[in-house]
Amino acid sequence: MGERTRQILPSVLSVLLALAVCWLTIALTRDADTATRAYLQMLWGGVGNWPAFLDGGNANAVLRPLGEAAMKAAILTLTGLSVAVAFKVGLFNIGAQGQMIWGALAAALVGAHVSLPGVVHVPLALLAAALAGATWSSIAAVLKLKRGVHEVISTIMLNWVAVSLVDNWLVIGPLRAVAEGQQSSITGTAEILATAQLPRLLGDSSRLNLGFPLALVAALGVWVWLTRTRAGYETRAVGLTPEAARAAGIPTQTRAGGAMALAGALAGLAGAVLVLGTEGRYPGSLGAPYGFDGIAIALIGNNHPLGAAVSAAVFGILRAGGTRMQLLGVHKSFPELIQGFALLFVAGRMVWLAVLRRRREQPTREQPSGEQPSGEQPSGEQPVAEVPRA
Amino acid sequence: MSLEDASLDIVPGELLAVVGENGAGKSSLMNVLYGLYQPDAGTFLMDDKPVRLKSPRDAIARGIGMVHQHFMLVPTLTVAENVVLGREPTRRGLLDLDRACDEVAATAKRFGFHLDPRARVDTLTVGSQQKVEIVKALHRGAQVLILDEPTAVLTPQESDELAQVMRGLVAQGRTVVLISHKLKEVLGVADRVAVMRRGRTVAEVRAAGTTVSALASLMVGEGSRGAALTGVPAASGAVVPDAQGEATSGPIVLDAKDLRAKGDNGRPALQGVSLTVRAGEIVGIAGVDGNGQRELAEVLTGLRSLDSGEGTLLGGPLKGLTPALAKARGVGHVPEDRLARAVVKAMTVEENVALGRHRQPPFARGPWVDFKGRRERATRLLSTYDVRPPDPTVALQALSGGNQQKVVVARELDADPKLLVVVQPTRGLDIGAVAQVHARLREAKARGAGVVMVSLDLEEVLALSDRVYVLYEGRVTGHFPRKDLDERELGRRMLGAESDHG
Repeated sequence: MGERTRQILPSVLSVLLALAVCWLTIALTRDADTATRAYLQMLWGGVGNWPAFLDGGNANAVLRPLGEAAMKAAILTLTGLSVAVAFKVGLFNIGAQGQMIWGALAAALVGAHVSLPGVVHVPLALLAAALAGATWSSIAAVLKLKRGVHEVISTIMLNWVAVSLVDNWLVIGPLRAVAEGQQSSITGTAEILATAQLPRLLGDSSRLNLGFPLALVAALGVWVWLTRTRAGYETRAVGLTPEAARAAGIPTQTRAGGAMALAGALAGLAGAVLVLGTEGRYPGSLGAPYGFDGIAIALIGNNHPLGAAVSAAVFGILRAGGTRMQLLGVHKSFPELIQGFALLFVAGRMVWLAVLRRRREQPTREQPSGEQPSGEQPSGEQPVAEVPRA
Repeated sequence: MSLEDASLDIVPGELLAVVGENGAGKSSLMNVLYGLYQPDAGTFLMDDKPVRLKSPRDAIARGIGMVHQHFMLVPTLTVAENVVLGREPTRRGLLDLDRACDEVAATAKRFGFHLDPRARVDTLTVGSQQKVEIVKALHRGAQVLILDEPTAVLTPQESDELAQVMRGLVAQGRTVVLISHKLKEVLGVADRVAVMRRGRTVAEVRAAGTTVSALASLMVGEGSRGAALTGVPAASGAVVPDAQGEATSGPIVLDAKDLRAKGDNGRPALQGVSLTVRAGEIVGIAGVDGNGQRELAEVLTGLRSLDSGEGTLLGGPLKGLTPALAKARGVGHVPEDRLARAVVKAMTVEENVALGRHRQPPFARGPWVDFKGRRERATRLLSTYDVRPPDPTVALQALSGGNQQKVVVARELDADPKLLVVVQPTRGLDIGAVAQVHARLREAKARGAGVVMVSLDLEEVLALSDRVYVLYEGRVTGHFPRKDLDERELGRRMLGAESDHG
């Protein structure tokens, strides 16, 4: 089994196994036929009903579902990248949700209150969202680097601070849209201007917008940065062996802080894509926990930037199709259940791979007399001998 | 870490000290007594009856208790909870903490310890934590108490207090076995001293009738240490004594005065170390483990900050040195703990070859990684340094320890360092790799690098060094140019003995 296969295969198998388990759940509670038809509906809802379309159906039958899937995939890709990038420097970013909330708010405000031509307005709103997310994640980074506060704790708590400040105060209070003649029950910020909307790519019938290619570019960019640049190399070294990185003269704190800021920026962009692409304003409550989903997306994607994009695409499709399962009386949250199971199996895979790897490495590990005073016996074949050179 | 024909008689009601150098077999012998290791041959008699101890549980059941150098306490539990752990008193199936506290308080009182059974262990000083360990052993009915290097973690005041505690236990009829290499301390407290060397017990003397100097001689051995010490036959060519020995007159690359720094535990590790290193010489740092060598190497490579002292390192101040600054000035570093400090084991060999120089050609071009340049350089180094397999794309962790070390040495020497700091460069390597690493160090010296070599292997120090500094408790207790190298005197200085002649 090649190294790449070893990395990809467990994720693929986990998703397939999760699909199978959930199919079985429906089959047992209902019947096998319903389960299969529900899955088909989910597929048509995610990628479009191609058989019907090719049979001469409406193009919208394909474009609309694809747009929904792409929109969800774009946001999941960005939050998944956020978690993956932090993970590369050895930090666990549970705070993508909070960072996304601030990004969404920044995008909504710039989108609504700044008047600019579209070519500048959209990038400016995106930039504002990225900065807002980065600022929020940097709080956790500074706490970690200066005070040793564990980032899992601080990012979780900062999520609730963000929810409290933005959802429970700002958007229903000071930043609430004031539109006369409107229903007073509306909460949330003012509608963004048309210039700030992410352009739709397939016309009005599909919600596929610029957010999707943007997320793909982000994934590609993160991947290039991690593997091809000095900074990315240093970031990975810090994440894998911090002491060795420090001894090599790498500014470990700068790298950790930088990766965490990038993570926040990516989550912030996810918020911007949500607001500028579909919501059109910061709604009364951001609702969907895309930030938390990012953790699952990143882990199922093996914390690889491109893996996160693929995993986001898969779950974007399943989620977009989830609503159509209701046609058969199956609850629309089933895709989330599938995601949960896949995450569970992926976590299991990590344990399993670790066991496998340990077994495999033992024979090749050097067991010289003296280095291991614990007295453990080398199992399996003898270590590779070093031949002295004349 | 082995024992060869070691014998020990433990007499009830006495304080027996076991002394010896690192690796002499003290700890191994104690681990046999405590049932952790099974001897290949030999007998173990208790009260004249042969006994087999299969595990520490057996040892505890027979009244043997051990206080390890690293405490085995649960920091978040109280003193009483720690002491009764594993044999908690219960009432109706529930833990009876009050009774536990009473019992522990009684035991502590009986042996004269001042311990609050309800205090959380992590709020106690190291000295008090050690007392908890001792009380734990006594509470389990230990008649024979083994203390492994108990003063290594203590302040001088705490050490004095421990000495009183040990004497008190002996006065109450318990037997104490003290493992140490601090001879002065041992003589102050023990009744009898057993000396170990190379896995054997070579002498047993009454403490009253001996001196630090005499003990040191016994520990180091009278004759030539030669090859037998490390078990490496001289004919194998693993360690070739350096024939040339003239003092170099190269420019000074390091001139340090009165360096002081704290160790990881916050206690002073360097207490006024001064040394100079010139280009083109190998300066050995000898000493028993834990006397400040590691901290000295860390100061010189920018990994540990100085409390005070000053010095010049390659034209810049030693104060405020960072790893990046040290690297920029031309300091190479082969650290002791390879996997933690020298390499990123999950990265490929070529990525590890670049580590530390990854910002400059041929490893980088502008902000980008230069894959082609890196591959070429790594491939060349792997073949020059005979790394196997010579594949730059495999993960470093797939290599054997010796080959990993070759990668580290190759990387550091390829940078053409002006000062090379190496710590335990050959620990755990096989003969072939040892010879190669030694040859490379000589090569670096010939190229004009100043080399600081910290090693616990005295033979290695003697074979390679042009000059040797001896560190003891964070101070330089000896400085020997090559022509004056006297290994017995060196050994004595390592053990803290005062100079016999001047």
